[in-house]
Amino acid sequence: MSESQTAGMFSGRESEGLVLVVDDESDVRKVVRMTLEKSGYDVVEAEDGEKAIEEIKKGENSILLNLIITDIRMPNMNGIDVINYYKKEWPSVPIIVLTGFPDVEMSTTMLQHGVSDYLVKPVESEKLRASVAKALEQREVRGF
Amino acid sequence: MSNQDRTTVVILGAGKGGTALLELFTRLPGVEIAGIADQDASAPALQHASQLGIPITQDLVSLISLQGINLIVNVTGDPHLDLLVAAHKHPETEVLGGSASKVLWDFVQHASQIQSQLFQTEKLAGMGTFASGIAHDINNPLYILLAFAENILEETDDPRIHEQVRSIIEAGKRIQGICQNITRYARATNTDNAIAVEVNEKLDEALNIARYATTLQDLTIVKSFGEHVEVLVNPGELFQVLVNLMTNAIQAMEGKGTLTLSTSCENGVGKISIADTGSGIPTENLEKIFDPFFTTKPLGQGTGLGLHNVKTIIKKYRGELRVESKVGKGTTFSIELPRSPK
Ligand SMILES: Nc1ncnc2c1ncn2[C@@H]1O[C@H](COP(=O)(O)OP(=O)(O)O)[C@@H](O)[C@H]1O
Ligand SMILES: [Mg+2]
Repeated sequence: MSESQTAGMFSGRESEGLVLVVDDESDVRKVVRMTLEKSGYDVVEAEDGEKAIEEIKKGENSILLNLIITDIRMPNMNGIDVINYYKKEWPSVPIIVLTGFPDVEMSTTMLQHGVSDYLVKPVESEKLRASVAKALEQREVRGF
Repeated sequence: MSNQDRTTVVILGAGKGGTALLELFTRLPGVEIAGIADQDASAPALQHASQLGIPITQDLVSLISLQGINLIVNVTGDPHLDLLVAAHKHPETEVLGGSASKVLWDFVQHASQIQSQLFQTEKLAGMGTFASGIAHDINNPLYILLAFAENILEETDDPRIHEQVRSIIEAGKRIQGICQNITRYARATNTDNAIAVEVNEKLDEALNIARYATTLQDLTIVKSFGEHVEVLVNPGELFQVLVNLMTNAIQAMEGKGTLTLSTSCENGVGKISIADTGSGIPTENLEKIFDPFFTTKPLGQGTGLGLHNVKTIIKKYRGELRVESKVGKGTTFSIELPRSPK
């Protein structure tokens, strides 16, 4: 929150975590990257689920993936299938849905399926950062 | 020549009744219309029939005396015509006239009104899908726009740029608000259970939609809200009630006047009133305004279902609905709904 803490994040070498951003629109990915990099996260982009897995496996250690932020309406996969797809590959990585669909039912289903947040675009940078921090916190409490 | 599974019919009278029957009969596969007659050459159904290729005439007797007619339907409402029909028709031709044809005509009109009501519901349901599709397509670019704008704010100190970017963000937020309103209204037709609903918030939301009822907007909005007025309803249904009442109020003022929204709570009852300075409702109409399909608005603008729905919903929650009105002064609708048990 405080100025000094933020400054610390910037100067510190250590990453706050590795976030995978999946959206078919490149400017959306760019905007999320921009927002998160300012808070010290590392970001990997992919335009769909398949490419995401490729992209992460390409990196040295896919174990380091901390969080997935994803749209749920994409050219070759939709809705809950998207979530299951990631769960199969990375069962313990938290997922935040970031979508243009303000759908109450969908968000309830998603949260029931263990998604850690359902954010509707346009989301304010502060809100996105808070949601990311919360997802990572919860994971620490649950997992390690 | 008539055969057994086809009925050949002629229609006498081309006014409202004739129009309704013409529409019905052309849709029935077992009925063939041999002709329609009216002494008045400008009667509406005559023109309609000639477009459909159905024989029309002003000479009633020639049509009545045609061979091979199974049924003559007389919707002229003229009692003398029954005698004329009896004198000229073939012995095997049956006649539907007098109050029997009136009942048939009423029935046909009723059926077509129900159909338009169904159409309305379908349109709303369809609008739900449509609206969420649009919302998605708007929200993506809107996010890009707003997030880049926010980023510029974070990265520059120039006050002039700050001011301009703030305006961009405000405009973007307005688009976001409109988008949310559309989806919310479209969703309002889906029902779920009653919950404690904050009335003041719902009034504001409903006003955002009802404002679109007229193009001319010179409204003064007066709000006199009590604190924490909660009622136990389905939020979507309460929303529908408020949008309907406000739309009527704004239409009655033709976009110009004062709309007063008040809320309060007393003894476990939440009270809402919506008052306008519009045309008012004549006493003779006060009884009828809650009837389904009662409307004084031109075709395409009024369905006459708004207040009927309002009444049905309020009744469902055991609430009270009252109206006070003075022609030329304005109208106040008041609602009382049980407050949620705390
Ligand atoms: N606030 C109002 N001021 C004047 N007349 C009203 C008002 N509300 C309702 N009415 C009258 O009641 C009729 C029925 O209203 P409603 O059931 O909402 O149907 P609709 O608005 O489609 O006509 C209206 O056509 C109008 O004549
Ligand atoms: Mg109405």
